Amino acid sequence: MSTISTTQVISDSALDKPRTGTWDGGNEPFKASYGKLMMWFFLLSDAFTFAAFLTTYGLIRHRHGVYEGTAEAFKFSSNYWPIPEKVFDAFPGLHGMHLPLGFVALMTMILIFSSVTMVLAVEAGHRFDKKDVQKWLLWTILFGATFLSCQAWEWSHFIHGTEEGTLMNDGTVFHGANLAMNQYGPVLFADLFFFITGFHGTHVFSGVCLLIWAFIATTNGTFEKRGHYEMVEKIGLYWHFVDLVWVFVFTFFYLV
Amino acid sequence: MIEYRSEQLHKLFAPVFTSLSYCTTMAQHATHDTAPTGEIPKPNTAWIWKTFWIISAITALEFVIAYIMPASTFRNSIFIILTIFKAFFIVAEFMHLKHETKGLIWTILIPMSLLIWLLVALITEGSYIGEAVQNLVS
Repeated sequence: MSTISTTQVISDSALDKPRTGTWDGGNEPFKASYGKLMMWFFLLSDAFTFAAFLTTYGLIRHRHGVYEGTAEAFKFSSNYWPIPEKVFDAFPGLHGMHLPLGFVALMTMILIFSSVTMVLAVEAGHRFDKKDVQKWLLWTILFGATFLSCQAWEWSHFIHGTEEGTLMNDGTVFHGANLAMNQYGPVLFADLFFFITGFHGTHVFSGVCLLIWAFIATTNGTFEKRGHYEMVEKIGLYWHFVDLVWVFVFTFFYLV
Repeated sequence: MIEYRSEQLHKLFAPVFTSLSYCTTMAQHATHDTAPTGEIPKPNTAWIWKTFWIISAITALEFVIAYIMPASTFRNSIFIILTIFKAFFIVAEFMHLKHETKGLIWTILIPMSLLIWLLVALITEGSYIGEAVQNLVS
């Protein structure tokens, strides 16, 4: 009976549980679950896309002339790149006031705060505190939606422009911006604004959709039955990434 | 037969596994999921709020600098350094990367650091294109 069998016999009990051998997929690379690791790799690839956008912004900005003169005497012109605080100085409800970067400061704080409520939801998930997970997910959805509304207002204001408008090279006065013309500076300035903040806004929107889905799943007890709230953690990773991108967009588009 | 072969392979790669498992033990997981037992533990949120205040303070500092300092390359470099600080806190604490294994940390950081080269190279290229166009006009 000591002959070696060439056919492998798999017993019923072996079929019931996942295989744990080193070469059978039993390893967890980097001690992270498959889903979390793949989310990290997706975010890395997404970071490349955003980096490409911001690098393009850097290249095009340096290709154009720099405004030389005092900030007080600044006037919009397509001959040089505009100073961001002269473009983004409006605040909803405070018409005609010059509040440089005031609204974008509010938007930044909203997004940072949404990141905090997201971590709180993940933390509550580790404790299996269903009520807390629901509460913090709802706050995150609220802040995310508020950020999107702010961006909608910002876009609307950017598209409609100031009352004075700008005298263009062809002698006409142009108000606001579209992809072919804008009152703030070179054509590509408005194009980059639409593409970069638009791409970021799309990410926020996707994030809000995922959060709403996670809220419904939490309420139905899906994660509790599954035995872990890892899905909330993965969506959290995505949400923080969106916040991270905004930190860079904010610096390169509004501050520098 | 198959069992026998995989055991042999395991022996062959034993040093690799040992070093891999060494890497993984480097991770300090602060979060230990415990199965629901009815009793919900108290929240541990002090570190979250601490990180929030640090990020908010850096953002506030950025606005102060934007208002009181005239634009210059020096000011821009301050902004970029502060942004990297903020990014560090978001990625390390909120995204928990600081507490992952060294292998995962480097997998993310090395490709990202290569982008700095891309950024510097293309910004320099942009200045050259600008100069070339100016020379063409004048």
